[in-house]
Amino acid sequence: MGKSNDTSAGTGGISGELIRRFQAIVGDDAVLSATDELLVYECDGYVVEKKLPDVVLFPGSTDQVVEIVLACNEFDVPFVPRGAGTSLAGGCLPVGGGVMITLTRMKEILEVNLQDRFAVVEPGLVNLHLTQHLAGTGFHYAPDPSSQGACTIGGNVATNSGGPHTLKYGVTVNHVLGLEVVMPDGRLVELGGATEGLAGYDLTGLFVGSEGTFGICTKVMVRLTRDPVAYRTMLGIFETVGDATRAISSIIGEGIIPAALEMMDQGIVEAVEAAYGFGFPLDAAAVLLMEVDGLEVAVDEEARRIVEICDQAGAREVRRAETQEERQLLWKCRKQAFGAIGRLSPSYCTQDGVVPRTKLPEILEFITAAGERHGVRIVNVFHAGDGNIHPILLFDERDKEQIARVFSASDEILGKCIDLGGSVTGEHGIGVEKISFMDRLFSSDDLEVMGRVRAAFNPKGRCSPAKMLPVAGACGMEHIERSHPGKQAAP
Amino acid sequence: MNDPGKPISRAYDEIVPATASELARLLEKNSSGERRPLLPVGGRTALGFGFPIARESLEVSLGRLDQVLDFPARDMTVTVEAGCRMGILQEQLRQEGQRLPIDIPMAHRATAGGVVACNPGGPRRFGFGTMRDYVIGIGAVTADGQPFRAGGRVVKNVAGYDLCKLLVGSGGSLAVISEVTFKLKPVAAASALGWACFDQGAMVNDLLTDMSTSQARPVAIELLGPKAARQISAESRQQLPEGPLLVGVGLEGSRAEVDWQAEVVERELRAGGANNVVWKEEAAAVAMWSALTEFQVGAESAVTFRASLRPSRTVEFMTAAIDAGVAVQAHLGNGVVHGHLPDDTLDVGRACSIIKSLRAVAVSGGGQVLIERCEPGWQPELDLWGTARGDWELMAALKKELDPGELLSPGRGIDGARASARPIETNEVGVGG
Repeated sequence: MGKSNDTSAGTGGISGELIRRFQAIVGDDAVLSATDELLVYECDGYVVEKKLPDVVLFPGSTDQVVEIVLACNEFDVPFVPRGAGTSLAGGCLPVGGGVMITLTRMKEILEVNLQDRFAVVEPGLVNLHLTQHLAGTGFHYAPDPSSQGACTIGGNVATNSGGPHTLKYGVTVNHVLGLEVVMPDGRLVELGGATEGLAGYDLTGLFVGSEGTFGICTKVMVRLTRDPVAYRTMLGIFETVGDATRAISSIIGEGIIPAALEMMDQGIVEAVEAAYGFGFPLDAAAVLLMEVDGLEVAVDEEARRIVEICDQAGAREVRRAETQEERQLLWKCRKQAFGAIGRLSPSYCTQDGVVPRTKLPEILEFITAAGERHGVRIVNVFHAGDGNIHPILLFDERDKEQIARVFSASDEILGKCIDLGGSVTGEHGIGVEKISFMDRLFSSDDLEVMGRVRAAFNPKGRCSPAKMLPVAGACGMEHIERSHPGKQAAP
Repeated sequence: MNDPGKPISRAYDEIVPATASELARLLEKNSSGERRPLLPVGGRTALGFGFPIARESLEVSLGRLDQVLDFPARDMTVTVEAGCRMGILQEQLRQEGQRLPIDIPMAHRATAGGVVACNPGGPRRFGFGTMRDYVIGIGAVTADGQPFRAGGRVVKNVAGYDLCKLLVGSGGSLAVISEVTFKLKPVAAASALGWACFDQGAMVNDLLTDMSTSQARPVAIELLGPKAARQISAESRQQLPEGPLLVGVGLEGSRAEVDWQAEVVERELRAGGANNVVWKEEAAAVAMWSALTEFQVGAESAVTFRASLRPSRTVEFMTAAIDAGVAVQAHLGNGVVHGHLPDDTLDVGRACSIIKSLRAVAVSGGGQVLIERCEPGWQPELDLWGTARGDWELMAALKKELDPGELLSPGRGIDGARASARPIETNEVGVGG
């Protein structure tokens, strides 16, 4: 394998020769290497750790991705794929520098097959654009992360994204049938496909959620889901967080699977109300956004049972969205809640823990106490039906001391999720943010076996090094900095 | 290596660990000592599947690991040891109004670890998905005795690699599963199956297209050839309409949901050309679900296969199979077909000729025909997994990483397939094809 020692030109560890090679592959306009141009790519939605890539590339085709990966191998430099950069866990952080392969120019919908209920798309396609493209066909793409207006389907594949409606319809992995992948050594392989039950291991299922460490997906074959015939959307208003979480527990415990069951606490309601003015009561401790869907003949009965359960749990009132416009506004409030947080604080860190659904009251009490202990304001908006919490810790990133307290509070909350039998991430991924939790959640044996699985895909560790597992990439990649460099704050 | 023409069908010794840690200890001892090949065994319902074990193996029975470890019903998850019988588990779940909504043949014998490893399914996969959608946590032991876990006990979790997906359908070739956590669904209050006959494949294809925009939401869409229809009718003790192609539409939900949908479906079946629609409800429906699930393991035929097809190409395949005298059942909504070759398939040459012609139909539509069981000794010529696919090399790399000594179910999975398959043909249709 050839290796260039010419590091005098170009940026960081990337030689001028390699930059020229990249320019030849993707064209001059698809290569960024000046420091001021790279700044945008120094972090993703997780803003507290930053690292500049040496170069950012925007390939327009699978062939170009293959050429780029082959060049990275030849010059022995690490590379990391990136979609829209909406990761909240530093999934796109180029930990060891190197080449960032941004897939946002590969955004075509290649095929829609309604008869066999699948679509083939490029990884840079924005999630929402697929569902918009399908409008009127009676089908949609079910995973709907709150960032669906920006995040890409390739990024959803990398992190196995969820969203409010995954309670009933499942997360990304339940909707991916097949993938085209550029392997870390540049080989192109197809995993799975349009037919169910193929012989052999479920490599598609294994790849989804591998956070860019198994290769770069260049095509995604997704399952299409029938649109529900009818919805009933309700807003439950509660005097205490405890009442709201009891209602959640009872709804699931009664065997009702709503399409979505989302909770917002008083802090987030204030922000949402200031932004959108839906008329949420500002004095309520918590609101539940609850939606049932299915057949017209069934939704009223399910909605009635939910209202009854909320009443029994002590709800102040349960409002129903009477029109499609009201429903859409309610969902807009929920999905854009994060955008409204800017009204509360200059910076925020969204946590992503999971607990068994019956433990929600306990974890929410703990979050409140942790916030008080560390003097950090925390608001909550989350997928209650899945037990997937999103405490949002508010801070000012210019104040290092505040950041330290945010880290302490986050660590305690996630530690408590583990103690309650849960997990440290339900949908955002490990990224760099949570890598230090991996050896609390898993034993060294578990991690060693996961390392062996990674070695089958990515033996040299060049693809997304120092991600997911709390060990150096693999042989040959020892020069890459260990991830999580002491959780340094932004400069 | 034994002569592949003389497969070892039965191992001679077995170990029966009582706990997961004892399982790990015994495998570690084997790995550092005799290094005998290992064959994990649950309810012995699928031991005849696929390639024969290539070497005389030590059976690892999970029979004593049969406990339900944790059933927090209000969280709708359950954690069981691998040897837990599925029939017993389902009964326990039902008492709390819950179920694992996967149709499992021989559930009274099949074990949790076995069904995860073998990944069976039945008619209701159309409505509820498959095993991969329900396994949220797993514990297993590698051939060298290293115990590991992945996933957890919560319904949403993306921490670490999803080794649950890797082990579902791995056929005991990567690790010995010791523990599984499933997510659960509520039991349905009511269920019904409507049956109607059609004369021509084109009518069934049109019906399938119409059903894809139906106001109803069936949990199963089945298509039976005449031989399969007779077997399923006899097995369920339910009279079914007789005709060239028998379509069944399964519904589940509340009483009101099922009744409303039954009206819609009946209208659609009649509009599609059916003269008569026969409904099976309550006890009759239960008997039918069971018979539709057991068909895949029911017949003592010389060759049993499973085809993976696009739904839109399934009727074409079914017609070809019926013409060849094969007893066939399609989970039509999913494009999965179970077939038993005719009783007069007395030699491997005849079997190969039928399979070859069906494979041609399947492959032309991007599908695959997988031989699940056959007469001993027929495996090499029948080419069980068919033409090699582009991702087999990666599967072999995974096998090598997790079981470098080739101790687990040797010859069973990807090794057997790679040893026997023809090279890749370039006209295969995959992603984007």
